[in-house]
Amino acid sequence: MSDRSQLLATGKSFAFDAETDAEFERLAARYPIRESMIMPALWLAQQQQGWISAETIEYVAERVGTYPAKVFELATFYTMYHLRPVGTYHICVCRTLSCYLRDKQEIVDFLADEAGIRPGQVSDDGRFSLEEVECLGHCGSAPVVQINGEFYEDMNVEKLRALLTTLA
Amino acid sequence: MAEMVKLFVNGQEVEVEAGKNLIDALQVVGIEIPHFCYHPALGADGNCRMCLVGIEDGRPPLVPACKTPAQPGMKVLLEDEKIKKIQRDIMELELINHPVDCPVCDQAGECTLQDYYMSYSQQDSRMNVEQVHKDKRLDFGCGVVHDQERCVLCARCVRFTRQITKTGELGIVNRSDQARVTIFPGRPLANRYALNIVDICPVGAMTSKDFRFRQRVWFLQKDPGICHGCSTGCNIYIDHHREKYGDDVIYRFRARTNLQVNGYFICDAGRLSYKTENENRQDRTLVDGVEVPLERGIEAALDKLNRARKPLMLVSPDSTLEQLWAIKRIATLYGAVLSGYSDAYVLAGDGDDYLISDDKAANRAGLQLLDIDSGKESFAAALADADLLVNFNNDLFFSPGNEDLQEALEATDQVSVCSHDRPAFSRATVILPCASYSEYGGSIVNRNNVLQRFARAVCRDADPCDIIEITRLLGGAISDNARAWPGLRQSVPALSRIWPERIPVEGVTLNSSEETHVGA
Ligand code: SF4
Ligand code: SF4
Ligand code: FES
Ligand code: FES
Repeated sequence: MSDRSQLLATGKSFAFDAETDAEFERLAARYPIRESMIMPALWLAQQQQGWISAETIEYVAERVGTYPAKVFELATFYTMYHLRPVGTYHICVCRTLSCYLRDKQEIVDFLADEAGIRPGQVSDDGRFSLEEVECLGHCGSAPVVQINGEFYEDMNVEKLRALLTTLA
Repeated sequence: MAEMVKLFVNGQEVEVEAGKNLIDALQVVGIEIPHFCYHPALGADGNCRMCLVGIEDGRPPLVPACKTPAQPGMKVLLEDEKIKKIQRDIMELELINHPVDCPVCDQAGECTLQDYYMSYSQQDSRMNVEQVHKDKRLDFGCGVVHDQERCVLCARCVRFTRQITKTGELGIVNRSDQARVTIFPGRPLANRYALNIVDICPVGAMTSKDFRFRQRVWFLQKDPGICHGCSTGCNIYIDHHREKYGDDVIYRFRARTNLQVNGYFICDAGRLSYKTENENRQDRTLVDGVEVPLERGIEAALDKLNRARKPLMLVSPDSTLEQLWAIKRIATLYGAVLSGYSDAYVLAGDGDDYLISDDKAANRAGLQLLDIDSGKESFAAALADADLLVNFNNDLFFSPGNEDLQEALEATDQVSVCSHDRPAFSRATVILPCASYSEYGGSIVNRNNVLQRFARAVCRDADPCDIIEITRLLGGAISDNARAWPGLRQSVPALSRIWPERIPVEGVTLNSSEETHVGA
């Protein structure tokens, strides 16, 4: 886990578009307390904008009716929220015990050589971004890679090389 | 009386209040359960695990004491190798990334982490990798400066801003060893109670910009007092110290718990009002602008009083019941009109629905009890008529609004008995210095009719007299607080059964049934 508390500000205000807004209200009706909407709202915002800026957090706090500091807590706690813009393909490599022992480092090193990105970076062409994450919950088939939310298990460098060529 | 229950601690029977959690219940009988995150004002959060104790009755072997109510027959285990090991382990965890910079930390000497290290840990560090580094000297606003590396992440500060001020400026961001307290960028602390965070932080992570690096706490003499910043009368500690070759100086006020008056907290303005006690004091006796010994000043005042045909005496709504009584007596002696006019002390709209009152006077309820007229019209009429005004520390220009009295004030000869050098006093031909509230003791009544007693804390070199002593020098019969009470009891029905030495520390609500507890 690294320090995720240095938020990026875009200088532009954020707001849900009409579709996201409707989805937000639909979900909000499910919960007895509106604060339960912090995480879904962050997720919706990320789907709309691709990542979460300082302005997004302020907007979510206002929509949910809570303190920005509280939304800030959740956004920095869960690594699934991107606090920086990510590439077209966001690659997460699990670095927790099982994956660590099953050579996740070879995958990380391969991506550094092949796509020229280290964890936390976006490739120059904007196609790939890389992040090391904690246990993805598929330890039995370690090492695990997640690309834009899709799981790829029992990975190794060869499989990943083949996989990358299939990505547009 | 609260219901009591009997339970066992390390096999020994103790009797404690039912329903309280084990930390609070056992503390009353002198048994300490170490804890970081629990605070009686903020409730149990259960995040620090320092309070784990054993309960030998079939429930899970360990429970957090902060979340466990005292129950009859309960067998609590504290003196046990297993519990001690947990405490040592939690302490080791807390100290893994702690900078241990006690020599330069303001909290040293009143730090829970330091104290617990001595009581529950005393182990060498086993860390041989570099510590996690975080930010230091973060200005969180409202005079609060944060050191993320010293923080034990108990979340008391965060809960304070969410539960007490409901402003929610603070949060704990990140997770694991990167977790840290911070503000949302660009949204610093913005509430009138923020400095309480410095009090409730168990370590030196929250420091006060005002107090930082100014004094080691073990040098401070910590005397109980009552804030005179407004009519709430919050209980405080007056932390003062006389440096070698220096004067007795107040370094800070801190909140003192009184559940009947202010709970666990005080406002920031009240906390910082200690500065007024140190600064701009009237310590010299002046007659026609020339410094003279006090006796000469008294002579000059006596001369004026004896000559005056229509003297007017003005009292301050901050003065104690005893002082007011003493002044009332000499007003009768000299046939003076007595007024407590003090509208300037009321800042309409400044108060809130928590502690801060509109009325910045500490004893207005006392003034009213003594039936001292406080109307503006009657004061203005008496002033127009008077040939001498003796002002006992009433700052008529505490706030704007009395400009219309200026002319009449200028036309009247004045004697000022005052603790501070302020425009309201400086025009007087005779100025007699008097003590301020940290330098005398007495009784005051707050806005909720709670009668509280406080004692003298500070002894400055100048050592100005208490107003009571000045009234005595001016011919009055009251020479100390005790001597004011027979008269107070006799003439004020609400005080008829009050013996000041029997007023409990948390004060007594007047005109209620409790009054009888204090009575003879
Ligand atoms: S700053 Fe102090 S009160 Fe706040 S979480 Fe850290 S240790 Fe607790
Ligand atoms: S609320 Fe009033 S009495 Fe309490 S600390 Fe503030 S100024 Fe002092
Ligand atoms: S350790 Fe990698 S998925 Fe669990
Ligand atoms: S005081 Fe009980 S867990 Fe912190």
